[in-house]
Amino acid sequence: MNATQSDLEEGLTCQCGCGLTVHACNHLQCPSGIPLKQEIASQLALGKTREEILSYFSGKYGEKILSAPTTTGFNIVAWVMPFAVVLIATMIIVVLTRRWRHRPQPTEQTPPAEGDPALRARLDAELDRWDA
Amino acid sequence: MIEVGLLALRLALIAAGYAVLASIFGARKRRPDLVASGRAAAYVVHGLIVVAAAVLLRALLQHDFSLEYVAAYSSSTLPTNYTVAALWGGQQGSLLFWTLILTSMSSLVLLQNRDRNEALMPYVTATLMTTAVFFLGLLVFITDPFQRLPVPAREGADLNPLLQNYWMMIHPPSLYLGYVGCSVPFAFAIAALATGRLGDVWIRTTRRWTLFAWFFLSVGNMLGGRWAYEVLGWGGYWAWDPVENAAFMPWLACTAFLHSVMIQEKRNMLKMWNMVLVLLTFTLTIFGTFLTRSGVVSSVHSFTQSGLGPYFIGFLVTVIAVSVTLLVIRRPLLRSDNEIDSFLSREAAFLFNNLLLVGIAFATFWGTVFPVISEAVRGVKITVGPPFFNKVNAPLGLALLFMTGVGPVIAWRRASARNLRRAFVVPLAVGFAAGLILLAAGVRHYYALVCFSLAGFVLTTIVLEFYRGTRARQALMGEPPVTALAHLVNKNRRRYGGYVIHVGVVMAFVGIAASAAFRIEEQHSMKAGDSIEVGGYTLTYQGMRSSDTPHTASMLAEITVARGGQVLTTMYPEKRFYKRQQQPTTEIALRTTLREDLYLVLGSYDDKSGLMTLQVFINPLVVWLWLGGITMVLGTMIVMMPTAAEQRALAAALAVEERAFA
Repeated sequence: MNATQSDLEEGLTCQCGCGLTVHACNHLQCPSGIPLKQEIASQLALGKTREEILSYFSGKYGEKILSAPTTTGFNIVAWVMPFAVVLIATMIIVVLTRRWRHRPQPTEQTPPAEGDPALRARLDAELDRWDA
Repeated sequence: MIEVGLLALRLALIAAGYAVLASIFGARKRRPDLVASGRAAAYVVHGLIVVAAAVLLRALLQHDFSLEYVAAYSSSTLPTNYTVAALWGGQQGSLLFWTLILTSMSSLVLLQNRDRNEALMPYVTATLMTTAVFFLGLLVFITDPFQRLPVPAREGADLNPLLQNYWMMIHPPSLYLGYVGCSVPFAFAIAALATGRLGDVWIRTTRRWTLFAWFFLSVGNMLGGRWAYEVLGWGGYWAWDPVENAAFMPWLACTAFLHSVMIQEKRNMLKMWNMVLVLLTFTLTIFGTFLTRSGVVSSVHSFTQSGLGPYFIGFLVTVIAVSVTLLVIRRPLLRSDNEIDSFLSREAAFLFNNLLLVGIAFATFWGTVFPVISEAVRGVKITVGPPFFNKVNAPLGLALLFMTGVGPVIAWRRASARNLRRAFVVPLAVGFAAGLILLAAGVRHYYALVCFSLAGFVLTTIVLEFYRGTRARQALMGEPPVTALAHLVNKNRRRYGGYVIHVGVVMAFVGIAASAAFRIEEQHSMKAGDSIEVGGYTLTYQGMRSSDTPHTASMLAEITVARGGQVLTTMYPEKRFYKRQQQPTTEIALRTTLREDLYLVLGSYDDKSGLMTLQVFINPLVVWLWLGGITMVLGTMIVMMPTAAEQRALAAALAVEERAFA
């Protein structure tokens, strides 16, 4: 099995309902995976490129046979969206942080150390007693 | 007996509904008697669900095939342990099991807080019981586990053979504990929003519950991967199946929450963000359950598919609507007391870590639902399979691994040049050196190289932390090294337990990268006596053996494994035929070492020609993924051990809040 065969098997989804790629599906006498593997081999024997073979399969069985969305048309949204969201979120964080920093600070605060709430509570309690 | 179960479910629904109303009304009208009755009703719900589950379990064990559920998911030859597991093997049973866990946890939470958090608890009860009402509503009105068959079946259809293995005993319960565990922090978050008590109390009260849920989500995901690895027989452990994604997304959100909570505890920041994360985690658990059951996306987990989708959508929409409304109302109270001073700070590092975790969750969500979106927009069905998720999540995952090294050691507020030098010069050098050595050794796989270099970087930051901490104690207390190390961990369990978890994460990353990048995979047709060479092993096929039980019939290929002329072991990959379901399964044979797994699958066997097809996988370093999982479990246990300091901090936070609301 050469690299292109297994690469193409990874590029197609088995239609037997297993949800795996043709390469990963190992069902005994799988009615979908085994013929597809043979079809890939015969397409390779014709000397076609990866793209040609994938478009042959998508033309014959419909786009759902491809194991990942294509990078054309509306499908681009699938690929771009996750990175776009992370990028936009990063920008929002940067902008918000900038704005916070330019906000006048009422008092200088230091980060509380470990166990500080206990001390603060004691201080508050003692101040309360002082007031009373 | 069955009638008792039916009645218990109906009474439980009524009691749960009462608990919701009495708790909210009692809290609003300041009627402690009503609140107390709501709490009592929640205990009653728990008791009734225990009864219902016991009735179903008894029916399963007694093979009462007059019940549709028992006939559909078990048989008289099914071994007892799987008969018990059939309780969560089918739709109605698993919903009942879910409700059992939810109400058990509710009772535990109510007990823990019986004389604490008086203001929050009515709303906690109401939230948990609202979830119970939803599941009980499904059980009573839509999908009744006690449905009788018109004519009792003579024999059951048996449990799906893929579920008949010991992982079935532990993977679903673990995942359910994780899923349902997320309801507790969610309930406290809703209570905090409802009462406006948005200080540290709810976070400190639920910290251990969040860890508990996270722990079981982690274990559940790991066990699921291991199950796939051993049972599905395609040499891998994760296929980005929608239902796997469904379990992975809440884990990511929960991980983000566990990290950002630290920023709130230390710096009183990110209150709003923490709320969003905890609400998101819970929403994702419900979304996951919806995915499993709705059938909107195809999945290997389709054994529990049904028409429950619309109900889950309805519940999801309600949860989101209530959460968002409360968030908007309480927005003024959720402002930060502090702000980020510099992007070179621990706060910023944690924020970025959160961004990546939520980013991966979003990418996974997006890929899972994109087929539905595509069909809606273009009318064309498409598939979003493993290649998509691997490509999109790999760079985000590696960035996250990098942050695992940065976050814990960079200084708070603003890192000085000195802090950066001290924290990162050595680890970066080690990381680069690791990369260069592997490059020189001929490793050309780009992602694997980056992953191993980052692993070197992160591990060095952690080792340095332990080393410096131990040295400091040695100098200060004059303790011998081992004692100093033990005290160091014991005095700062959260911090050093966290580091142990990170070591596990690094191990898992290494296992995943190595087994993905350097897997060897071959297929051979063999006759008895034939030998093949794969990855340094000599595999000799000795012949076919068979075995037969009332439940199954098996064919086992006897394969001797040798290396360098020395016989290492004999392996028996197997085809097993489940008589009741008339279904064959593949039982792989596995030889694990720290270096690699030898994984054999019996493909097919032709009796006439004596020809057998053998699939051979060699998965390098994959055992480190599982060892990483075990290390994460150990680390979580260290983190979860209660400390006196934590109790004091909670008491102090409570005192502060009581005064504020007095």
